[in-house]
Amino acid sequence: MRYLLLALLMVSSLPLGSFAGYREKFEKEFLSKPWAGEQVEEDACIACHVAEKMDPKFKNIPQSWKMSIHYQHNVSCHNCHGGDPKDAEMSMSPQRGFVGTPKYTEVPEFCGKCHVGILKNYLESGHGKALKSTGKGPNCVTCHGSHKEEQYIKKASIDIINERLCSKCHSYERAKIMKQALFLTEKKMGELEEGFSRLKAEGVYIEEEEKGLFNIQAEFRTLFHTVDVSLVKERTDDFAKKLEPIEIRLKNTFSELRFRRNFSAFIMLLFAGMGIVVFILSRPPKE
Amino acid sequence: MEVGRKIRDWFEIRIGLDEFANVQFREFRVPRNSNVFHTLGLVTVIAYMIQVITGILLLVYYIPHPEFAFKSVQEIMSTVSFGWLLRQVHVVGSSLMVVVVFLHMASVFFMGGYRKPREMTWVVGGLMFLITLMFCLSGYLLPWTQLSYWATTVVTSIPTAFPYIGDFISRVLRGGEYVTGITLGRFFALHVSILPPLFLFLMLLHIFFVKRTGLSTPPFGLSSEQQNPWTEYRRETHPDGYPFYPHFVKKEIFMGMLYLTLMFFFITFFPMLFLPEDANTPADPLRTPSQIRPEWYFLVPYQMLKLVPNKFIGITLLILLVAVFLLWPFLDTKKEPNILKRPVLKTVFFLILILLAVLTVWGSY
Repeated sequence: MRYLLLALLMVSSLPLGSFAGYREKFEKEFLSKPWAGEQVEEDACIACHVAEKMDPKFKNIPQSWKMSIHYQHNVSCHNCHGGDPKDAEMSMSPQRGFVGTPKYTEVPEFCGKCHVGILKNYLESGHGKALKSTGKGPNCVTCHGSHKEEQYIKKASIDIINERLCSKCHSYERAKIMKQALFLTEKKMGELEEGFSRLKAEGVYIEEEEKGLFNIQAEFRTLFHTVDVSLVKERTDDFAKKLEPIEIRLKNTFSELRFRRNFSAFIMLLFAGMGIVVFILSRPPKE
Repeated sequence: MEVGRKIRDWFEIRIGLDEFANVQFREFRVPRNSNVFHTLGLVTVIAYMIQVITGILLLVYYIPHPEFAFKSVQEIMSTVSFGWLLRQVHVVGSSLMVVVVFLHMASVFFMGGYRKPREMTWVVGGLMFLITLMFCLSGYLLPWTQLSYWATTVVTSIPTAFPYIGDFISRVLRGGEYVTGITLGRFFALHVSILPPLFLFLMLLHIFFVKRTGLSTPPFGLSSEQQNPWTEYRRETHPDGYPFYPHFVKKEIFMGMLYLTLMFFFITFFPMLFLPEDANTPADPLRTPSQIRPEWYFLVPYQMLKLVPNKFIGITLLILLVAVFLLWPFLDTKKEPNILKRPVLKTVFFLILILLAVLTVWGSY
């Protein structure tokens, strides 16, 4: 019986073994992209920009994009620049809506396609008016960066207001007052965001509140783009009130997590105790 | 008490419960030198029952559709009363079940419990181990997270190393080129309606074989097999052994409690051990995580396939090893049942255990 089974195993493996190594494509993919990666979207923009023949000053764009907040939120090249990433030949065709690099003064409208509220407040602000009247005021990328020259678009935060950046155009004093006015609300929103991340790491996802925070953040940052300190100060209390229910929900969820831990610890001890009792009772019967 | 006695009598008159309990539990005896490893079979049954109960309760809220699967699991974790507990028990239980089944098989192997007349018990047990892994594989995809999506892509790409039929197998598993909603549907069906009855059938068959042959005596000493070679059917009755009830049942309950204590230890102190960050991120087929690895119980074949330069040879080797593992009782015809008196087999056994541990740790880096 043993020899028969061994022989069967050997015989069945021989014809299969003769095909060993025939699948070079699989080998290659298996080793270079272990296990997966075949479902990567075809993107003509990236394919060209990383190609050898690409002008070095444009070559870093895909890398910068991958580090940006846009990448994190699935905003791809064509979402801003138009064109067709699935058709290499037509990828930069104006017929497919390709815009390419906007002019300096048109950058706000370019970004404002998505950031609608911010565009409105920016255009009403000193920054926006300066840009439109003189063509030299700061536009979006002045503060937020782009994917040029090893920059990448970072997540918006209060840190963007800093002496190095603001004093390029004017003194830092006014900007500093604005930063102070924003500080408490921004800090609170940062803490709440961190709370949501911690909850996610614990497997709890409270979508509604997270979306609520996102909307409040967007609204608050829209307000900031007016560059009007008195308006920001005036509305800080409104934002604090809006953040309050989210803060309460977050606190309650953390308490719930503590309850969960205590509850499972209690069950663990219960089973451990029952186990000890049964162990004491389960000694072998006397002879 | 009177009501209880009446109910008992009602059943006793009709189906003879006392006689059944006497034959099955009191007269059924276990070897005198039986140890805790003999209880692992029943611990597996407990583990399976826990998975079934929590699985059914999770089914009430789970939606097997790519658009809703992740959200429904998040709902279970966040808003459903004690949903977190059900999911945690199910998740931790799946890993612990693999451990228990593996320990059961390793101890049976070490104690020579696979030998004649228990070859069929071993084969059925081996099949149950493989089905347990299939349970894990199919269940892993269901939350539709980054981790589950890409780990499934990993595992379902393994068969493509086979010529001719490899692509076909992979396509059948995935329901197409890639892991999609169709894969989710297939894995869901496999997980909740195909594998459970199959496992239950094999479990009943396994228990039937155990009952028909009796529990095996550890071969450390002179075994009855050596005294009386197996030439015709007989049951190992262990007349000098302990009755199954209450002696062995208490041992079983103790091990069951140990299993549950261990499970809640993980849930209390390491709730995210089996649910890392990618397990809380919705699946994104267009974004490959930087590191993709299957779950820990698949790290051995994963690392093995990575180490063998030719993937086809690697997968053939893997299948041969599984075949040898399943058919081992028919390959081992040596008279000596005590592994301690067989230095080659003993060395191979411990080497395999070390190798499995090394490959698992290696695969996780």
